[in-house]
Amino acid sequence: MLLGVALIVFFISHVLSPDPALLWAGPRARPETIRAVAAAYHLNDPLPAQLYYYFQGLVTGNFGLDPQTGRPIMSEILFYAPNTLELVLASMVIIIVLGVGLGYLSGMRFGTKVDSAIRLFYLTTWSTPYYLGAVVAILAFASYIPLFPSGGNGGVGFSVAPTTGVFVLDALLQANWLAVESGIDHLILPATTLALLSFGIVPRIMRSSILDTRWSTHVKAARARGLGEGEVRRKHILRNALIDTTTVIATTFGWLFSGTIIVEQIFAWPGIGQFSYSAIISVNYPVLVACVFVFTLGVIVANFLADIIYPLLDPRITLGEGG
Amino acid sequence: MRSSERRAVGRTITVTILVIVLVVAAGAVYFAARSTSSAPTSMTPGSPSAKTSLVLEEEDQPDTLDPAVTYVTPGWEVVDQVYQGLVTYNGTSITAFEGVLAKSWTVSADQMNYTFALRNGVTFSNGDPFNAYVMWYSIYRTIVMAQAPYWILNQNLAAWNGNTLNVTADKLNSINYFAPSAANLTIMMNPHQSVQVVNDSAIRFNLGYGTNGMAPYSDFLATLETPMAMAVDPAFVASHGGVTAGLPNGAMTTAMMGTGFYELQSWVPGQSVSLIKNPGYWADGLPQSELNSAISPAILNNIIIYFKPSAASIADLQSGNAQMIFVPVTYYNVTKSIPGVTTAILSPAFGSAEAVSYLYMDPQAFEPFNNTQVREAIAYGINYGVIIDNVFAGHAIQWVGPVPPGFQYYNESTSGLNPYQYNATKAAELLARAGYVSHLPSGTVLNPSGEVFPRVNFLYDSDSPTDSQAAQIIATNLDAIGMSVTLTALPYKTYSSVIFSPSTNTTSYPMGIGFYSEDYTASIDYVYYFTSDNYIGTSNYASAPAISWTRNASTSANGAAVISDFRNITKTMYANYTDIWLYVAGMMTVNQNEIAGMTPNPAGSAAGYFLYFNTVHYSS
Repeated sequence: MLLGVALIVFFISHVLSPDPALLWAGPRARPETIRAVAAAYHLNDPLPAQLYYYFQGLVTGNFGLDPQTGRPIMSEILFYAPNTLELVLASMVIIIVLGVGLGYLSGMRFGTKVDSAIRLFYLTTWSTPYYLGAVVAILAFASYIPLFPSGGNGGVGFSVAPTTGVFVLDALLQANWLAVESGIDHLILPATTLALLSFGIVPRIMRSSILDTRWSTHVKAARARGLGEGEVRRKHILRNALIDTTTVIATTFGWLFSGTIIVEQIFAWPGIGQFSYSAIISVNYPVLVACVFVFTLGVIVANFLADIIYPLLDPRITLGEGG
Repeated sequence: MRSSERRAVGRTITVTILVIVLVVAAGAVYFAARSTSSAPTSMTPGSPSAKTSLVLEEEDQPDTLDPAVTYVTPGWEVVDQVYQGLVTYNGTSITAFEGVLAKSWTVSADQMNYTFALRNGVTFSNGDPFNAYVMWYSIYRTIVMAQAPYWILNQNLAAWNGNTLNVTADKLNSINYFAPSAANLTIMMNPHQSVQVVNDSAIRFNLGYGTNGMAPYSDFLATLETPMAMAVDPAFVASHGGVTAGLPNGAMTTAMMGTGFYELQSWVPGQSVSLIKNPGYWADGLPQSELNSAISPAILNNIIIYFKPSAASIADLQSGNAQMIFVPVTYYNVTKSIPGVTTAILSPAFGSAEAVSYLYMDPQAFEPFNNTQVREAIAYGINYGVIIDNVFAGHAIQWVGPVPPGFQYYNESTSGLNPYQYNATKAAELLARAGYVSHLPSGTVLNPSGEVFPRVNFLYDSDSPTDSQAAQIIATNLDAIGMSVTLTALPYKTYSSVIFSPSTNTTSYPMGIGFYSEDYTASIDYVYYFTSDNYIGTSNYASAPAISWTRNASTSANGAAVISDFRNITKTMYANYTDIWLYVAGMMTVNQNEIAGMTPNPAGSAAGYFLYFNTVHYSS
């Protein structure tokens, strides 16, 4: 999968930018500057040679130098990625709690006003573009009702050594409570926005799974066996419904990464989404490749985690055995 | 219950309990933190403790914080606070200079040599001393690195003297600048080079080695005001990778060590820059009589610059979380209506410094643009008033280039020339006369047997909301007279790589909205761009007389002669419809009423409208 993604990004980038040296060297750059950039990044070499250097870098975990800053791309990735992870994980928590909860409620209250209201809610947020939802969130909760800061990760001015790179976690580890407060204050609005704009599929699938299972024969059999309603709902309806929903949640993880490209930009969140955005608009494909790699890894890890969770939900599913 | 089911339930319960414990713990920590923080931290936005810190917000971000490399306004804005050069503008004029690291200077009679006497006792914020050797190193570092903006210096200065001396990266990396050896001194004091050390507190610039050739340059001081000519600490650079010819220094992208009144506290790319007062600033002990606005110690302890979309900046200004914001003039009515906030439009020079906009037409890439009547038809076909009213809410002006409004010699150059006027009838008649089918506003078709004007790609910067809107209006205007254009939007970086490309007849974008913003504050910077650079974005204009006038203007100290040259250029380009001069948007200051001490100057680049942060303070 990673190989495929790497190849696709490489070729798309080269089609998008026929003369990257001109672009990377900057406006009004002198010919000698453009030539130096081209030489440093092998841009005058034949395409197969460029592909060779490209994979050589990838295999050794060395993405090379950012042509626009001169810094090692890996160090830039290591700076940005934890910030994005913080945002995405916080959003995932919200999505899981809210998505599963609302989907369950909607399914169990099928056909009622509650069901309609929940569906209206998640369909509205889900169909809202990121750029619009994020700006509305800022105007609503940072301006008109100033509950939260409008952007940033809250780390400005705090002496928190970047142990993990996740600001709130580092602040917690260093017992810097003011920094923890600042970090959480700054995290709530972008994380909630990202979650709400991405989570629609989760309650939708949860609701549908609930509807599939609540009238199934095994649920009827459980009730016939005399199990209490709470136990039936928890063990036979909820758990079965969660199997499909878990798959969707894993998929949503990847969706969240794509959402960060816009949300981080609007919330001035110093993450890899914003880093990718700037790489896209400047056709900085060495950086873009690295970002896509990180996103792809994130999706792979999320799916791997989903695979681990399945057996917890359904004992019939086991890992490591062929079927 | 089966054992497997029990295990499953056990796992579920364990996971559930774990999640609950984590959530409860996080909540407890959060609320504990809230309850213990009786006062908000001074570092959170909008809470300048004891009014000694300030939050500024703007949309664009620095590209790098290396003075030899940065080429965008936010980069210059930060560099200006941490690094210092020899001279800068005096804060009230864009043509008068005052010393920063230079105490005084003299210019030779032939204007080929500038000798600067340096201030004594200047140190970098790490304590390293500043001297003439350091200045020599700093200038050559920019030239040897040869990044995009180095052309500003390279017009007059070069690393190679054309004969025996070539200042290379190896030389730069090997010299001891704090205790130079005799061999070191031989190199640095060689009189046959661009930058020559006179003694440890005097340095001389010998013009004539750069691309301009052996000629003086009347705006040389303006080029020295840019970040490219600011002093960097050789020891600090050496410990951050040294100098490599032709390449940027990645470590210096984020690390700063200057002589300025602020130090870099943090740069979180994509989020913020935080500056903190330099505690050992060299001018702290100077008597008031020796200070000027450019070297006075900072008043505020802390400056935080956030990079946010305009909507977020306005929200923060409204809620008091930001004291100053920089947003486009299209938000004038919005910010003007916020209580407790001052919004003011600056004089035209500031708008010009940010961008002058025009329509380019490359005749090499699109044959019909060779016809002057076609270009004239376009000039008459654009409804400038509608653009200014609808796109800029009236806060823009028309102009006649290439000297920008508000800059030196603009009034003299454009005397007697009115900006191009909208006249759709005349535009249609001109197009018909040029041999094309055209349409009068009444719907009447002129020259129906003529050739239909071929469709042409029209380029604009999709990252600019104003240019995007203006492009739509122009396309509609041109379509109305019989010229169909295909609007083609490119994001800024790609767009700029097109318009700043050497002209060829193969460009896919022979027409579009171009812009130019200052690289240094001098009319010649603009004039040179339009007449001599021969980019796609300058209509591929390469007129020998215009190039000659430009060269004469740049080398002359005679004001009358310069005016004559600029006037010749202006009249020729105007009559030739080389570029269609469109608009110059206004630039505005937006700040809380209590903020004072800003020294507007286009060259400062700080948020686009004030020179340095050191004089900014709270008035109450």
